[in-house]
Amino acid sequence: MKVSLNWLKKYIDLPVDLTPEQIAYDLTMRTVEVDNIEYTAAKYHDIIVGKVVNMWKHPNADTLNICITDIGDGEPKQIICGGSNLYEGEKVVVCKPGAEVYWHGEDKMVEIKETKMRGQYSYGMICAPSEVFLEDFFPVEDKERGICDLSDVDCYVGQPIAELIGMDDVVLEIENKSLTNRPDMWGHYGIARELAAIYDLEVKPLPECDLDVKSLKEYPVEILSPDRCPRYMALEIGNVYVKDSPTWMKAALYNGGMRPINAIVDITNYVMMAVGQPEHAFDRTHVEGEKIVVRTAKQGEKLLLLNDDFLELTDDDLVICDAVDAMALAGIRGGKKDSILPETTGVLLEIANFTAPGLRRTENRYGEKTDASMRYEKGVDTERVNLGLAMSVQLFKEFYPECEFVAYGDNYVEKTERAVIKVPQQFLDDRLGKVIPRETIEQILRKLEYDVTFEDGVYTCVAPIDRSTGDVSMKDDVLGDLARILSYDSFEPTPMKMRFEHAVNQPDWNLQRGLREYLAFRCGFNEIFTYPWIDEKFINAAEIDKTDAVKLATPPAPELAYVRQSLVPGCIEAVAKNLRYFDTFKIFEMAQCFEVGEYHPSTQAECLPAHRMMLTGAVVSKDARDAFFTVKGAAEGMVRTCQMEGYEFKQVQKPSWADSKVWLNLVLNGEIVGSIGLLKVSAMNAAGIKRVQVGVFEINVDMLKPLPSRDNVFQHLPLYPLVEQDLSVLVDESVKWGDIKESLKYMVKDIEFIEEYRGKQIPAGKKSLMFRVWIGDDKGTMNAKQIDKKMGGIIKILQKQHRASLREE
Amino acid sequence: MLKRLEEILQNGLDKIEQTDDLNVLQDIRRELTGKKGELTEVLKSLGTLDPEMRKSVGMKANEIKQIFADRIKEREVEIAANASVIDEELDLTLPGKAIEEGALHPITQMCDDLNDAFLSMGFEIFNEDDISSEQFAFDNLNFPPDHPARQSMDTYWLEGTEDKRGNDRLCLRPHLTGGSVRYLLKYGAPARFVYPGRVYRNETTDARHERAFYQYEALIVDRDVTFASGKVMINTILEKVFGRKIRTRMREGFFPFTEPGYEIDMECQVCGGKGCRVCGHSGWIEVMPGGVIHPNVLRSANLDPEEWTGFYVNIGLDRLVMMRYGVDDVRLFHSADLRFLKQFK
Repeated sequence: MKVSLNWLKKYIDLPVDLTPEQIAYDLTMRTVEVDNIEYTAAKYHDIIVGKVVNMWKHPNADTLNICITDIGDGEPKQIICGGSNLYEGEKVVVCKPGAEVYWHGEDKMVEIKETKMRGQYSYGMICAPSEVFLEDFFPVEDKERGICDLSDVDCYVGQPIAELIGMDDVVLEIENKSLTNRPDMWGHYGIARELAAIYDLEVKPLPECDLDVKSLKEYPVEILSPDRCPRYMALEIGNVYVKDSPTWMKAALYNGGMRPINAIVDITNYVMMAVGQPEHAFDRTHVEGEKIVVRTAKQGEKLLLLNDDFLELTDDDLVICDAVDAMALAGIRGGKKDSILPETTGVLLEIANFTAPGLRRTENRYGEKTDASMRYEKGVDTERVNLGLAMSVQLFKEFYPECEFVAYGDNYVEKTERAVIKVPQQFLDDRLGKVIPRETIEQILRKLEYDVTFEDGVYTCVAPIDRSTGDVSMKDDVLGDLARILSYDSFEPTPMKMRFEHAVNQPDWNLQRGLREYLAFRCGFNEIFTYPWIDEKFINAAEIDKTDAVKLATPPAPELAYVRQSLVPGCIEAVAKNLRYFDTFKIFEMAQCFEVGEYHPSTQAECLPAHRMMLTGAVVSKDARDAFFTVKGAAEGMVRTCQMEGYEFKQVQKPSWADSKVWLNLVLNGEIVGSIGLLKVSAMNAAGIKRVQVGVFEINVDMLKPLPSRDNVFQHLPLYPLVEQDLSVLVDESVKWGDIKESLKYMVKDIEFIEEYRGKQIPAGKKSLMFRVWIGDDKGTMNAKQIDKKMGGIIKILQKQHRASLREE
Repeated sequence: MLKRLEEILQNGLDKIEQTDDLNVLQDIRRELTGKKGELTEVLKSLGTLDPEMRKSVGMKANEIKQIFADRIKEREVEIAANASVIDEELDLTLPGKAIEEGALHPITQMCDDLNDAFLSMGFEIFNEDDISSEQFAFDNLNFPPDHPARQSMDTYWLEGTEDKRGNDRLCLRPHLTGGSVRYLLKYGAPARFVYPGRVYRNETTDARHERAFYQYEALIVDRDVTFASGKVMINTILEKVFGRKIRTRMREGFFPFTEPGYEIDMECQVCGGKGCRVCGHSGWIEVMPGGVIHPNVLRSANLDPEEWTGFYVNIGLDRLVMMRYGVDDVRLFHSADLRFLKQFK
C-alpha cells in the first residue's frame, strides 16, 4: 500500500524536523514494514511553468516554431517546439536543461540539453503531457503533437510543476503482508493514528456528516444474507456528471497508487484510501426498480461484465442486485450494469459492510482481488460506513455544489461491538519483564484509541472499533500493542534461567548424526539432498512397487506426483546426473520415506501415512567388485563406529533394484533392516547410467538399535608375543571365506583376509585364497614345535572341512 | 720433509672439505690416516731421519693425524645434518597423496552447529515427521479457516485428502511450527526444544525461492519467561553461525500462531550496516520471525495460557547457509550436484 505524507498531514501535524526516513524506520520497527520511500518530486525536477510571449515559424522546418518563453528567470528563453496547440500568451510546461523526459520509443529517460535544431538555438523543451507524466493532470486532445496548455490553470510563471500538481510529496510503500492483521491501517487516517501513538501527537477529527439524511426519501435496501452483509447504506445523488477531479485530488490518488478516472469514481476511491471504507457508485438509472437487494447468487447465475463476458456464479457468492438481476459481486467488483458512463447524470452510492470469510472464498474462486476486496477480507467494522458517508457528502458538495441528495437507505443488521478486555497489571509486568508506569500504559493505549480505566490492579481496555473485528480480542493483543509502541528494541535481552534437571540424552538423534558423520568423514561419502517427489522414470528404474505410494494432489510437475517410498530412485537420479562430471564417487542421503499405512504420532484422531527414516547411499566405481565391497565395508564398519547393535549379512529377500546375484540383507534380531547390493543392469539402462558400476545400500534407520552408551570392553594386551603366519590355499569356487573364517575362529587369536586370486596357475573351478592368522599361547612364548603343531591343526581343518590344499610358494 | 707434511695436511683438509658424502669421507679417512696412507708412510720412514729431525717430523705427523681425525669427525656431523634420504631431485610442489574425503551437506553442517549450541543450553532436539495433517499444520496454530496458506496454491496436499478437513487432510508440512504442539502434547511443559527439518511450499522456483527448504525452530515454554529472553536465543543462533556477535533488531511482525509476533533483522554482513544492494540499502536483513506463543496454540497443546507462556524463533537455514558461504542460488541445495557439495568439506 502506498501512503502519501502530504495526505497524512491532513490528519496529523508532524514535527518539521521529522524526516520521511525516520517515519519509515519507526513504522517498520513498531507497526508495519516500509519497503520503499519515494520522493515524487524527483521526476519533475527542472520542469516548470513557462509562458510563450512571442513566437514565429522556424525558418528551416515547417512543423516547428521558435517560441520566446518567459520562465520567470531573467531574459525569456528561445525554445524550439513542434506543438500543434501553441499560441502566443499560452502557459506551458517547460523542461529546463537537466530535466529528464520520457520519449516514446526510448527505454530510458532522456536528459534535456541546450541544443541547436535545424540551425536554431533551443534552450530547453516545451512538453507534451505524456513526456513528463502529466497525462492524468493535463490531458490534451491531440495525443500526437499536443502540448500541455496551462492557461486555464491557476499557476505562475516559473512555478515548479511538482508544486503545481501536488507532487512535492513523499510516498511510503508499505509491505501489504505486514498489514494483514490490521484492517484499521488500510487508509491514511489509520496510519496517522498509529503515528500519533508513536510520536505522542494528536490526530485531527474527521468531518461530521453535513447532511440530514433522515429528511431524505427512503431508498429501499433489502438484505437477504445478513450474516454476510451486516450493513448496507445507499445514497442517491442527482445532478452529478463525469468530469475531471481537481488537481489536489488527482495528486492524492496518484501518490496513493491509483489513477484518477473521473470525479465520481475518484471520490469513492479517495474515501476508501482515506478511511479504509470501500465505496461503489452505480449509475442510478441502471438500478432497475429503484431497489437494492443483497443476496447470495443462484447456482449458475450469470453476472455480465463490462467486456461483455459472463461470470458464472455459485450459491456461495454474494451479489448486489437491483429489482431484476445481479449488478455486482459484493465487495469485489462491479458488472457492466453498474458502470459510471459519460451520460451518467446521477449515482447511487453504496457504502456497505461485507464480512471477510465468504468474501475470501469468492475472491479465491475467481482469483479476483481488488482494492476494495483487499480491505473487506481483513474485516472492516460496520461503523466505518458513517465515516465514508460523511467524507463522501463533503466531497460531492465540494466538487458538485449543484448536486442533489435524493434518497437514503441504511439497512443496519448488526453493529460491530467494541471488544472489552481485562488486562491485569501483573500480567503486563510479568510478560514484559519490566514495570511500565500506569501513565505510560494509559497514554499509549489512548493514542491507539482504546478507552482505558484502571481499577484493583486491572486495566479495562475497550478496543478501538476498527480493530474489534478480530485483531484485538484478548489481553495478549493489548500487551503486543504496548510492547511494539514502546519498541521491542527497548527491551534488554534477558538471560534465560538455566535448569539442570536431567541430561539431554537422545540416542536416536546421536545415531542419525553418527551415521552421517561416519559416512562423510570416515568413508568419504558426500551427503546429498533430493526432493521427496520423485520422477516416475527413476521409480520405475528401481522397480519400486507404487501400489502403496502416497501422491501429491498438485505436484510440481505431472511426472513428480509420487512421494518417495524409497531413497533409491532419487539416489539413482543423482548418480546419473553426476556422471557427467565424475566417474567415481560416493553419495548418501538420509530422509523420510512414506507409504500408505496407519501412523498416529500425536493423537488417535490424526492418522498419517507410514513414515520411515531411511539412509541410502551409492558407490560409483569402474569395477563391480570394488563398488560392492566398498558398500559392504561401509555397512560393516557402521556398527562399531556408530554404536549400535550389530546386524548379520544374509540373503533373505532380494531388493527390487539389486543385481540377481550380488546382494545381501542386513538382518538384526531376525528382521531385515537394510540391504546392500549392486544396481541391476536394467535399472542402470533405464536411468542412463553407463560405463560404471553402482553399489547401493539402503538402511531403515528407525529399525537400528542405538546403544545407550559405548559397549566395547577393554581386552588385555597379549602377555606373550603372537605368531603371524600367512596361508595361501587352493579351494573350490563354492567355498566361502565366511565359512573358513568361522571354522578357524577357535584356533586363532585373529584372522584376516588378504586376497582372492584366480589366474593362469589356478585350475578351472578353483580359486586361491590368501589370509593371515595370528596364533599364540596365553601361558608362554610358543616354540617352533608348538607353532608347527598349531599350524598343522589349522591346515587339517582347512583340508577336512573345505577340501583346501596348500599352495606351494 | 716438514714441507711435505704441510702439503699432506693442506691436501688432506681440502679433500675433507670437498666431499659431502659420508662414504667418500670414509675413503678419505683411509687414504689419509690408514695403514697405506701417506702419513703412515711418513711415520714409517722416520727411522731414516736424523734424530733431531725425527722428533719434530714425528710430532708434526702425529699432530696432523689428530687434525685429520678431528676434522673428519666434524665433517661427519655436518654432512649428516645436511643429508637427505632422497638422492635425486624431488619436486615439492607435487600434490600430497589424496585423503579420501567426503562431506556433510552444508545445511546439515549448519544444523549440527546450531544443535550443538542449543544442546549446551539444555534444549532437546525434536523431530516432527514430514507429512502432517491440516489439524497440526494449521488448525492448532490458530490459522483462520480460510487462510490463504491452506490453499493448494501454497501447500502440497496429498491426493485423495485435499478436499477433506482437519485431521483427515494431509500435506507435506508447510512449516515446522506444527511440531511445537506435537512435542507439548507428548512431553508437556515446561519445555525447551529445537526442531529442525525440511518444509515444503508450492511455489515457483528461482534463485531465491525453493519448494523444499530447511527451517530451524526453537521453542521455550515456561511459567516465567518474558519475550525479551527470546533475544538471547536469537543472538545465540547468529553468534554460533557467524562466529562473532551480530547486531540484531526486533520489530513488529504478524503470524497467526504468535501474539505478539516479531521479525528479527540482523545487520547486513555485506556492508556492515551501511546499506548496500544486498540489504536493499537498509543495512538490515530479515532473518527470522518469532514471537510469543498465541494462547490458542497453548490450548491446542492442552496447556493453560493463564499459566504457561513461551516464545518461538524460526530461522530459514537455506538463507543462513547462503549468507555464510555467499551461495547465490537456493536451488543448488537440492541439486545433488557434487561440484557444489564437494566445496563444503
